Amino acid sequence: MPYAFVRGRAFRDIVLVLVLVFGVGSFAMLLARVSPLVAFGALFDGAFGTREEVAETLVQATNLLFPALGIAVAFRAGLFNIGAEGQLILGGFAAGWLGAQLPLPWFLAIPMVLIAGALAGGVWGAIPGFLRARFGANEVIATLMLNVVAVLLATYLVNGPLALPGSGASETPSLPHAAQLPDLVSDSRLTWAFPIALVVAFVLRWVLQRTVFGYELRAAGDAPEAAKRAGIDLGRTAFVAMALSGAIAGLGGATIVAGELHRFNTGLSPGYGFIAIAVALVGNLDPLWIIVASLAFGVLQSGGIAMQAEAGVPRDVVALVTGLVIIALAGRRVVAARRST
Amino acid sequence: MRRRFGAVQAVDGVDLELLPGEIHALVGENGAGKSTLAAIAYGAVRADEGSVDATGVVGLVHQHFKLIDRLRVWENVLLNREPKRGWTIDVPAARARVLELAAKYGLAVDPDAVVETLPVGIKQRVELLRELDREPAVLLLDEPTAALAPSEIASFFETVRGLAARGTAVLVVTHKLAEVIAYSQRVTVMRAGAVVARHLTGETNAAAIAREMVGGDVAALATRAETASKALLEVRGLSATSGTSALSGATFDVRAGEIVGIAGIEGNGQSALADALAGVVPFSGELRLAGVTLRPDDSPAARLARGIRVIPQDRRHEALILDWNVRDNVVLGRQRTLPRAGYEAAAREVIDRFDVRPPDPGAIVGMLSGGNQQKIVVGRLLAGDPKLVVAYQPTRGIDVGASALVQSRLIEARNAGAGVLLISFELDEIFACADRVLVIAGGAFVGSFDRAAIDRGRVGALMAGGQA
Repeated sequence: MPYAFVRGRAFRDIVLVLVLVFGVGSFAMLLARVSPLVAFGALFDGAFGTREEVAETLVQATNLLFPALGIAVAFRAGLFNIGAEGQLILGGFAAGWLGAQLPLPWFLAIPMVLIAGALAGGVWGAIPGFLRARFGANEVIATLMLNVVAVLLATYLVNGPLALPGSGASETPSLPHAAQLPDLVSDSRLTWAFPIALVVAFVLRWVLQRTVFGYELRAAGDAPEAAKRAGIDLGRTAFVAMALSGAIAGLGGATIVAGELHRFNTGLSPGYGFIAIAVALVGNLDPLWIIVASLAFGVLQSGGIAMQAEAGVPRDVVALVTGLVIIALAGRRVVAARRST
Repeated sequence: MRRRFGAVQAVDGVDLELLPGEIHALVGENGAGKSTLAAIAYGAVRADEGSVDATGVVGLVHQHFKLIDRLRVWENVLLNREPKRGWTIDVPAARARVLELAAKYGLAVDPDAVVETLPVGIKQRVELLRELDREPAVLLLDEPTAALAPSEIASFFETVRGLAARGTAVLVVTHKLAEVIAYSQRVTVMRAGAVVARHLTGETNAAAIAREMVGGDVAALATRAETASKALLEVRGLSATSGTSALSGATFDVRAGEIVGIAGIEGNGQSALADALAGVVPFSGELRLAGVTLRPDDSPAARLARGIRVIPQDRRHEALILDWNVRDNVVLGRQRTLPRAGYEAAAREVIDRFDVRPPDPGAIVGMLSGGNQQKIVVGRLLAGDPKLVVAYQPTRGIDVGASALVQSRLIEARNAGAGVLLISFELDEIFACADRVLVIAGGAFVGSFDRAAIDRGRVGALMAGGQA
């Protein structure tokens, strides 16, 4: 897809999203008997009011950006990876468990923790990729189900074989300081995860647009029959795309563990992997626009808490708006796909 | 009458009058606005300007059948007009009505047959019966004979004559000039959305109409050079299936520097043949290319690497990525061998050689006309010395100028020593290009003719003979 074409569509999507956020959001606030001005005021104040709040907004944006980039890889290959949540959780688990085991200097510990997360997420993405390539299994069902398996698997491991003696919490031991991502802003949870995510986005865009691998992946997604007849191996492409998709989401889980929590906890994600679907679609599956979209959703995520606390509007309004955005954009994509056939 | 689609003035100030009892032919190149005009007259498309007056119901038989394959004949014929008994359909009455209709017009059908099991000619009858049930005063036929065998075409026009004799005004939209001359009383020629000529059919001829359609002389095809013929493709007992298309036990050869035309009616095994060669479906039997045996489980990539290039039947889904630009489409299949810096030059080469318009490597392929899209497909697949070219309906739905260009390039590939397998439903195309003609019917080869000994009548009879 030519860049200008994409940008035009992304612009329209952003207008649609703004209308949904402010229009439907205002309606929901009125139902909660709160003035939209007060509620949105609280939301933006919560997102931008102080240095720490801006940092937290960027933290939320980072946590969404990784899984959204992963989702974009799969979607560009024509594969609806709904399993970013599970891939992110297992990536976090692998990072947390491995990071707590080995006393290493930081320049080994941090890369190892991140790579462990990417590998675990990559394996978790590769499973539905393999099932799709080998047996034609529907990846939507497989990835959706594997989310549940991932959560239960991690919960079992931290409560069973890997349980901390004398602790009732569902978590791994805390990471040694050397394995923790350094802070970017003091007194906040914002770490080097944010610039790493930006670099991943730029590299991913280059890979998709400028490499033979990216060309074949996009061809397989945009016109599978033509790609197949031109000699592109659709099964192999699906497998690699799903593995890469899972690896990026898993890397995201690892940065949450290494940067924010400093240990794996089964509650590490409030649904980043699902909200990231909306982020990826709003960003029109273009890594650079996904950065913009993740910042916008980061505002909603971090401001939503303040909105609930200060204006008394349930945080669920943010979930409601996010859900509507997914329906609107995914629905529009389906309509567009139907028309073009 | 005027109608605009986007930037294209599809129909521009056309007046057309149909008289009761006449068969009126509407001819023109693809994209001249014929089908749009028919759709406006039927009421399926609204005119931006102008009006349609008819003394009764207007019926339209589409070029592509609009039947529901899973339903029975009577269900299709009476769709939405079923005789009712309370809340249920009166099935005996419905069957009787279809039988009566069929007898009245001499269009024998089995009302209980499921449409998807019927051959194309019978499906056409079902289409026609559905419109006739509405007792139209005006009947519009859009490319009615595109899928019919020569013998079916004759009997189809007998029926149409019968209708005209009952006072129906019939408009036949077509590009087959032989049928125009044989069966119509008046002819209207369209070009670029406007009427360029009107004739009484008896006062003109096919060559004159062709010049009016194109707006000048039709480009001549490339001349055939002498080629040293040596064996290239050996096919022995080839059986394969692709979707509903089945080929059973085909045996033939294609020599280097030769165009072998596969004549046949759509749905007689052509898709299975092309797909087996492309490596899209498995096959049984033996395939050898230049002495090397091809394996049934080869991937499309393996076939490409052997120098086999298949121009697929559905360019929009099987060959092109419509959202992408010309440059990225031209290199599809060569993305691993061409350096990125060579993409632009590869695109320019195809654009120049095939006169792609607009000549812009950055143009989005989905925005180009069908003819220019096909030039990109053929240009891409003929690049880099192919050994065997399989062309499946390479000029389907594209205008005369683009068709001549595509056919010329195929002949040039032959002259350069490639073997070409030309699968087409248009006999004229096969006779114009092929060195040898094989007739396919019912998934098997039923006849073979050398260029010098082609007998159009016999080819047509053999094509129809294999029909179920």
